[in-house]
Amino acid sequence: MKAIKYLSILALSLFTATSCMNEFDEPVFDQPPFGNNEIGEANTTIAELKAKYASTISASGVKEVTEDIIIEGVVVANDETGNVYKQFIINDETGAIIIGVNDVGLYAMVPIGQRVRIDCKGLHVGGYGKMAQVGGLYEGKVGRMGKSVFPKHVRLVGTPNIEQEGMQPEVIDDSYFTNENKENLAKFVRIENVEITEADGTELWAPEDLAYNNVVERHIKMGKTNLVLRMSTYADFANEALPDGKLNINGVLTRYNDYWQFVISSTKDIEQIAE
Amino acid sequence: MVKISKIAALLLLCFAWCSTDTMAQVIAEPGKGLKKQRPSRMLQADTLLLKEANEASNVITLGDDNNESYTFSEGQLGEDDDFAGTTAMVSSNDDYFLSEVGYLFSPMRFRIRAYESMYNNVYANGVLINDAERGQFSYGMIGGLNDATRNKEGATYIEHNTFGFSAIGGASNINMRASQYAAGNKMSVVGCNRNYLARLMYTGSTGLMENGWAFTASASYRWANEGVIEGTFYNSLGYFLAAEKKINDKHSIAIATWGSPTERAQQGAATEEAYWLAGSHYYNPNWGYQDGEKRNARVVNSFEPALLVTWDYQISDKAKLTTSMFGKYSMYSTTALGWNGNAADPRPNYYQNLPSAAYDIWDLEYTPTEDELADYMTRYNYWKASKANRQINWDYMYYANQQANAVGGECLYYVERRHNDQMTLNLGTTLNVDYNRYNKGTLGISLGTTKGMHYKTMSDLLGADKYTDIDKFSVGDFGPSSDYVQNDVDHPNRQIGEGDTFGYDYDLYVNKAGLFYQHQYSRGIFHLFWGANVEGTTMERYGHMRNGRAMEFSKGSSGTAKFLGGGTKLGITLAFNANNALSIGAGFDNRAPIAYNSFIAPRMRNDFVQGLENENIFSAEASYKLIAGPLSAKVSGYYTVLKDLVEQNAFYNDQQSQFTYLTMTGVNKVHYGVEAAVVLNVTSALSFNAVASVGNAEYTDNATGFLISENEKVVMNDKVYMDGVKVDGTPLTALSLGVDYNTNGWYLSANVNYYDNIYIDASKYARLASVVGEPVIDATTGKEILDIPSQFSGRGDIMVDASIGKSINLRGGKRLNINLSLNNILNNQKMITGGYEQNRDDSYSDGSERTYKFSKNPFLYYANAFNAYLNIGLRF
Repeated sequence: MKAIKYLSILALSLFTATSCMNEFDEPVFDQPPFGNNEIGEANTTIAELKAKYASTISASGVKEVTEDIIIEGVVVANDETGNVYKQFIINDETGAIIIGVNDVGLYAMVPIGQRVRIDCKGLHVGGYGKMAQVGGLYEGKVGRMGKSVFPKHVRLVGTPNIEQEGMQPEVIDDSYFTNENKENLAKFVRIENVEITEADGTELWAPEDLAYNNVVERHIKMGKTNLVLRMSTYADFANEALPDGKLNINGVLTRYNDYWQFVISSTKDIEQIAE
Repeated sequence: MVKISKIAALLLLCFAWCSTDTMAQVIAEPGKGLKKQRPSRMLQADTLLLKEANEASNVITLGDDNNESYTFSEGQLGEDDDFAGTTAMVSSNDDYFLSEVGYLFSPMRFRIRAYESMYNNVYANGVLINDAERGQFSYGMIGGLNDATRNKEGATYIEHNTFGFSAIGGASNINMRASQYAAGNKMSVVGCNRNYLARLMYTGSTGLMENGWAFTASASYRWANEGVIEGTFYNSLGYFLAAEKKINDKHSIAIATWGSPTERAQQGAATEEAYWLAGSHYYNPNWGYQDGEKRNARVVNSFEPALLVTWDYQISDKAKLTTSMFGKYSMYSTTALGWNGNAADPRPNYYQNLPSAAYDIWDLEYTPTEDELADYMTRYNYWKASKANRQINWDYMYYANQQANAVGGECLYYVERRHNDQMTLNLGTTLNVDYNRYNKGTLGISLGTTKGMHYKTMSDLLGADKYTDIDKFSVGDFGPSSDYVQNDVDHPNRQIGEGDTFGYDYDLYVNKAGLFYQHQYSRGIFHLFWGANVEGTTMERYGHMRNGRAMEFSKGSSGTAKFLGGGTKLGITLAFNANNALSIGAGFDNRAPIAYNSFIAPRMRNDFVQGLENENIFSAEASYKLIAGPLSAKVSGYYTVLKDLVEQNAFYNDQQSQFTYLTMTGVNKVHYGVEAAVVLNVTSALSFNAVASVGNAEYTDNATGFLISENEKVVMNDKVYMDGVKVDGTPLTALSLGVDYNTNGWYLSANVNYYDNIYIDASKYARLASVVGEPVIDATTGKEILDIPSQFSGRGDIMVDASIGKSINLRGGKRLNINLSLNNILNNQKMITGGYEQNRDDSYSDGSERTYKFSKNPFLYYANAFNAYLNIGLRF
C-alpha cells in the first residue's frame, strides 16, 4: 500500500504542475503593431503632392521622392473583396491617390475608414497611364512598393471609422468629366441615378468566359462620357448578377490615359434605387 | 473440436450478409494433437528503449499539411501521421534484428521493410487496439507509460503466436495484467534535449498477493517549456491503473485503465530555401511572438482514456481461453491557423514571402533585372533582419481583427481546431489448445465497433467579433449570397464563436468481425505453421452538415459499404540443430480498404470512392539463422506485393483556387529486400554487432486518379504516373556497426549507422497525366518522352550513437540504474528523414510560368542534431 501513497503524492504534484501551456490573452495595443509610428504630422496635401509631380504623372513617368513629404488621408478603397488588387486609395479634402503595395490582404491593416499617413520620402511617385500613384519602381515606371517597404512608410492613425472626415464622396454629374478634372485624379465620388450598361438582371459582374487578363469591362454612361468599370474575375462578387435599374454608387474616379475609369471596391457601395 | 467448428460456422453465417464483391479466404480446419503451450516470451529491455526512442524521436507531422490555409488541411492522410508513431512496434522475440532495429534506427524514423504502420497489429491482452479507421496503432494512447507497457510479446507474419493474427508487419501483444508486473516500486527521472526535457515516472506493483489480488499503478509526467525544436512545448501526464483477481486456478479477471492527457506543440517542415535563410535545418515556421512570448499555431491535444477488461480461463492444462474487452474514447485535435475572406496567408514561409519568388533563380541562364534583384534583396534582407520576421506575426493578426471589429467586418485570422475523436469498443477472444506433443492451435474471434467523429471548432478568434461559416473559396465562384458557399445550408451564415463547430462535421462508422485460426506443428527438425483468417468490415459516413457544394450528398448517411476479406499463410522452419535453422514462409491477405480513404471528399460528401475494393497482399520471406562459436547471425529476405490499394491526398489547387481531393485507386506496390544481423561475442564482456536492412519499396504501376474539387468545377478521372515512385519517410538502406562492452555493472555501447535511399512523399498532383502533359519526341532517339518529375531524395550519410550505463546495487535490495544515451554524436544536421513535394503548379491556369517553382521546393524534415538522454532509475 506504500505504492498508493507514492502514487497519490506523485499524482497530486503532477496535476498541479500540468496547467495549460498555450493560453494567450488578446493583446492590447497602445499603438499599432504595424507601420512606422515615428512618422510625424502631414506636411503636404494629396493635391499638393500631385501638383508637385504633375509633369511626371502626365508623362507616365516616375520619380523618387527625395524631400520630406508626408500625406494623410482616409482609406476609401482597398482589396477587401478582391476587385482592387495590391493597392488601396486614400482620400483627403483635396483629392485621392492610389498607393501601390506588392502584397495581398492589405485591408487587414488599412480597412476602409482607416486614417493613414504616408511618408513618401524614398518612395516613388509617377503616372500609370497618367494616373497618379505612390509606390515603388518597376521596369522604369511607377509600380508597387515592396511588402517589407510598406510598413516603414505608413503610419496608422487612430481606429478605422467610416463616418469620419474624408469618407464623404463628392456627388458629381456628367458635367464633371472635363479635361481639367482629368488631371487631378483620383477622386472619391458618388454618381447618382446611373445604370450599368450591361446589366439585364442575369448578366454577371465578371464571368471568366468574358475576361481578358482576368478583367471584364463594364460601363456606365454619363452624358457623353462612357465610364469604364474594370471588374476582376477574382472579386468575391464576380459571379453575382450586375444590379440593374437605377443606381447610386460610391467609388473612385481614375483614368487610364484618356479613358475615365471608375473603381468599385465593394458592392456595399452600390445603392439600388427603388422604382 | 466440434465446438470450434461450430463457432466458425456461426461466424461465417454472420458474414453471409456481407456482399461478396470481395473475396473471402478460407476458414481453417482446426488442427489436431497437443503439445504443451510455450509460455509467452517477454521482450527485453531493448523494446523499452525502442518505444522510448519512438516517443522521444520527434513527433513531427510527416505529411503535406502545409496548407493550413484552407478551411481544410492539405494531406488528409498525412495530417495526423504523428498520431501513430513511426517505427513499427516490432517484436519477434529472439530475433536480434527485429529487437535492435527499432531503437537503433529510430532517429531516422526507420520503418521495418518500409511497411506502413497499419500492417502491424498491436494487441492488449489479446484484443486488437489498432485504430479501425486508419488501421494503425496510436502511440499517443500509451504516451509516457513505458513501464506499464513494457511486457510485450511479438510475432512476425509467419510465426505462431497465442494472441492474435499478425499482419505482414507482424503483431505484438502488450500484457497489461496487474499480476504480470514485478512487485516493488520504481522511480525514474529523465533529462534530455528532445521533444521533452524532463520526465518523471513512478511505477509500483504489489505482485500477485496471497489473497489473489494484484495491483499495479504507474504515473508519469513529461515536460518541456521549450523542446529542442524552437517554439515547441510538451506537457503530458500519463496514468495507468490495473487490478487483477485470481479467482481460482481456472479463472482470473484483470482490469486496466490508462490514459495520457497530452498537450504539445509541433514542428513544421520547411523548404531548403527557408532553412538556408533561417540558418538552420531546425527552423520551425509554426511559431511566432505574441507580446514577446513564443506561441505555436500547431498544438496537439490528445487524451485517449482506455479501459481493458480481461477474463482468463484455464479450461484445462491443455486449453486456455482469454477474452478481453477494450474500450476507448479518444479525443485528438490539432490546431492550425486559418485565414478568412481575402486575408493574406500569415505563414512566415509562405512562398510569396521568399526571395526566390522575386525571379526564377533556377534558370541559370536568366539574368534578373535590376528591379528583380532589388526585390530579391529586399526579401532576403527581411528574412535575415530578425528572427521575428521569420516567424508568425501574432500581433499583426490580432490587430487585423481589431481593425475589422472597428468597422463591423469579418474576422481575418483565427486558430481552428481539427478534431478526430473516436469511440471504440473491441472484443477479442482467443482459445489456445495444445492438442498433443506436436500440435497446438489458436482460435480467435474479434468484434469491433468504432465511431470516428471528425469536425472542427473555433479555437481562438484572435479577438475578432464576427466569423460567418461559409467557404471562402466558393465565394468568388458563386457569389457571397449563393447557397453554394454555405458550409451548412440548414444553418446559413451561422455566426461562429469560440468553441463552436464549423466547416465540416461528420462521423465514420467502422464495424469489424473476424475469425482466425493458426496452427503450429513441431516434430524433430520440422516446424510447420499455418494460419487463416476471415474478416468482415462495414463502413458508413454520417454527415451532420448539409454542405452547399453537395446539398444532396452531405447530410445523413452514406449507406453502408461491406467488405469481406481474409487471408492465409504458411511457414516452415527446419531447425537442423541448435545452431542452424532455415525458415521460409508466405501468405496472402485480402483486406478491406482503410475507411479513412474510402470517401472521395469526406469532409463534405457522402460518396464512396468509385471501385472501392479490398487490398490484396502477397508476402513471402525466408531466413537463415546460424550460431557458430562466438558468432550468431540471421539473414532474411522478403518480397511483398501490395495490390489494389486506395490512397488519398487533399490539397489546395492553385489552378482552380479550390481545395481538391485526389484519390488513387488501383495502387500497386512492391517491397523487397534483405535483412541481416550478426553478433560476434569476442569475450563475455565484449561483443561486436552488425545490422543491415537493404531493400526497395516502390509503386509498380501507374494509378487511377480521381479528382474532385470542393466547388465541383473539377470532377475528373486521370492517370497518375506512380510507376517507380518510392515509398517515402524511411531509409530504404540502413546499416549499422556496433560494439557492446559490459563490466562490473558498467555497460557501454557505440554504433555507427549509415542511412541511404530516403525519399520524400511524391506529389501526386505533379504526376497527373493532365499536368505532365503530352510526351515529347526526343530529337536524337526519336522516342517519346514524358516529362514526369523525378522524386526528391535525401543523401546517404552516417550517424554515430553511443550509450553508457551503470547499475548499482544499494542496501536493502534497492538498485540504481543510470544510463546516458548520446545520439548523433557527430552532429550531422544534413540527414533528411522525410518530407513532401508540393502539390502545387509551376504555371498559372492560363499556362504562363510562375516565378516561384514549387517543383524545386519540397518541404523537408531533418533528423535531430546531437542530443542526449539521461535516465536515472531507482528500484525500491
